[in-house]
Amino acid sequence: MNLLPTEEQQQIVDMVRGFLAASAPLERLRPDKFGQIGNPDAALWPKMAELGILGLGVPEEGGGLGLSAVEEALTYIEFGRALVSVGVLGATLGAHLAARTMPDIAAAIMAGTSAVGLATPRGAVAGDDGIFSGEFHLIEANEADFIVLLTSDAIALFRREEFTGQSERLSMDSHMRLMRAALESGKPLSWSSVKDGIDHARANLLIAAYATGVAEAALAGAVDYAKVREQFGKPIGSFQAIKHKCADMAIAAEVASCQVSFASVILSKNSDESRFHALASRIVAVDAALKNGATGIQVHGAIGFTAEVEAHLFVKRAHLIDFIGGDQRVQKGQFIGADAVI
Amino acid sequence: MNLDYTAEDEIFRAEAREWLDANIPREVRPPDGPGMREFDLGWQRKQFEGGWAGVSWPVEYGGRGLSLTHQLIWYEEYAKAGGPNAELLFVGCNHAAPTIMARGTEKQKSYHLPKILSGEVAWCQGFSEPNNGSDLGGLKCRAEIVGDELVVNGSKIWTSSAHLADWQELLVRTDPAAPKHKGISWLICDMQTPGIELRPILIMTAPGHHHFNQVFYTDVRIPLSNVVGEVNDGWNVAMSTLGFERGTAGMLENIRYGAVVERLVDMARQRLGASALENDDIGQRLAQLRAEVTAVRAMTYRIASRAAIAPPGSEASLARAFFSQLQQRIRRIALDIIGPDSIELPEDDPWIRPYLRTYSNTIAAGTSEIQRNIIGERVLGLPR
Repeated sequence: MNLLPTEEQQQIVDMVRGFLAASAPLERLRPDKFGQIGNPDAALWPKMAELGILGLGVPEEGGGLGLSAVEEALTYIEFGRALVSVGVLGATLGAHLAARTMPDIAAAIMAGTSAVGLATPRGAVAGDDGIFSGEFHLIEANEADFIVLLTSDAIALFRREEFTGQSERLSMDSHMRLMRAALESGKPLSWSSVKDGIDHARANLLIAAYATGVAEAALAGAVDYAKVREQFGKPIGSFQAIKHKCADMAIAAEVASCQVSFASVILSKNSDESRFHALASRIVAVDAALKNGATGIQVHGAIGFTAEVEAHLFVKRAHLIDFIGGDQRVQKGQFIGADAVI
Repeated sequence: MNLDYTAEDEIFRAEAREWLDANIPREVRPPDGPGMREFDLGWQRKQFEGGWAGVSWPVEYGGRGLSLTHQLIWYEEYAKAGGPNAELLFVGCNHAAPTIMARGTEKQKSYHLPKILSGEVAWCQGFSEPNNGSDLGGLKCRAEIVGDELVVNGSKIWTSSAHLADWQELLVRTDPAAPKHKGISWLICDMQTPGIELRPILIMTAPGHHHFNQVFYTDVRIPLSNVVGEVNDGWNVAMSTLGFERGTAGMLENIRYGAVVERLVDMARQRLGASALENDDIGQRLAQLRAEVTAVRAMTYRIASRAAIAPPGSEASLARAFFSQLQQRIRRIALDIIGPDSIELPEDDPWIRPYLRTYSNTIAAGTSEIQRNIIGERVLGLPR
């Protein structure tokens, strides 16, 4: 039993972190550089494809690197820290769904040549026997060929054309492009229910890992600021009112990171406990991202309320990912109905 | 990362389970008094005789000399089997013993460690004082060196079970002129020494029972050979095991609380109906608690993984600070599930007394506020 990354796993983390530090620094999201709307991350996909990141956990016979949920979760923590477009989640989940039966589509996704957006319900979804109807939000779908739909009990890969009435909306998270759209008896290319295998649990785990990264980055930003910002002749981090807020952020991030690690090992073994542990990790990690995002703004004071620092980006991204496949209220409803795992 | 156990680990687990099934006490543990002492020490003796008392203790002191993973397996099986919470043994086994192991003389080790492990004696802690709780380093209880003895005068407070203990780990000021953390010594104090008097302090559980004491020392003579570590180095001696207390010593409780939450989930399903629970506020809060207690197990595993490389340091405060508040929220929700009848206190009450007890969790062994200072300063590197 060991819940720390192996040397090889740490090398993957370092590689991804190094790549993102060079190619996707948080400053890219400053409004004066890239404009307020839209994200600059489409250019990342081909580079990430080259490094094998988009097919990291896809089996080798499906054209991926054949690594496990543990390595996937570790890389998603890095994606969250760098606020990489959540389109990456579409690519990873879409590649998994396509790899078994549609190798050409999987290859195009993993090569970064076909983008995959996300669909998440705006209300009730009818999804009997793999035919889906309902109203949805599409995220990062504007240039996507495919869409991954995540509901509380199913995950499905569609061609984007299956969605009707696509109309753009501004998003609270200004760097993410958002649409409304509908499915009327939409037929997916591939899908699986929460009861079949770990596809659905993988989605929750990777959302949790991403949220953990958001929580960690919000913490790091707040702590850095509290060390240098002075009031009353002292760094504000010396005051318990600020210090204890930072400590609470550190606790939340540690809770999330530990449970994400644990769940990732459970998923890597295709265990029956995958759904339980992935839900648990999603609940604590999204909670950490929401709380740390909000607290980070408060620690920064007035500058935290501006677009001149990154603090506001974390809470907005946390809200966005909270809703992918159902928010905390939905996830907790699912989780309290789940059988105990002792 | 892996959660795999070796074949040898699995054999150990099976043996632990079998022994626990056969030997776990069936009678109810008395909540206090000499009956509680007899129960806890008797249970410790039984575990010792079975070879389960000191799984990760070194062989030379009567333990099995096994890894922390084995200790974790033992705790998991202990919690699953519903083993009793033998609190009286905590200070001896999890605090005094590791301190003596780390800093004691050979004579201190060979005399005290086997007695602690075999359930022959109970220990209590003499750290806090009426005017020094969180500011422990400012403690004033004096000890003057006279010949080959220390003469102690002063007072300690919040001493759990001092009236049931044979020995005390006692922090005293041996050099009043030195800077406050540099004039302290860590002593082994025999509770039968003349000059020690106790004042019982009732705690807030219902009805309040004798748990704490204030301890008064009037010319109490303790042999100089009972100093652990160097004279005036007691602060470092005490700190050497605080990381241990904040990290690994809580493992058993961490694991036990998973079962407490599942009992609450069952109770809520019965009372509110399984489907109504999904959208009910209680169901939502319980789901949060269930996720958090699941994460505590993961935190425990990570601590054990780190401990295999280096002794637990300040980062163990993250888990401790989180868990102490989580315990309070878990015990609190029991009252909401029970509803109006929770103001009653039945004879065989499983929920109300434990709920009241959790108010101490964020105070004892470093308040939540002190834990947050430690996290802020030593984990995050924020200025003092």
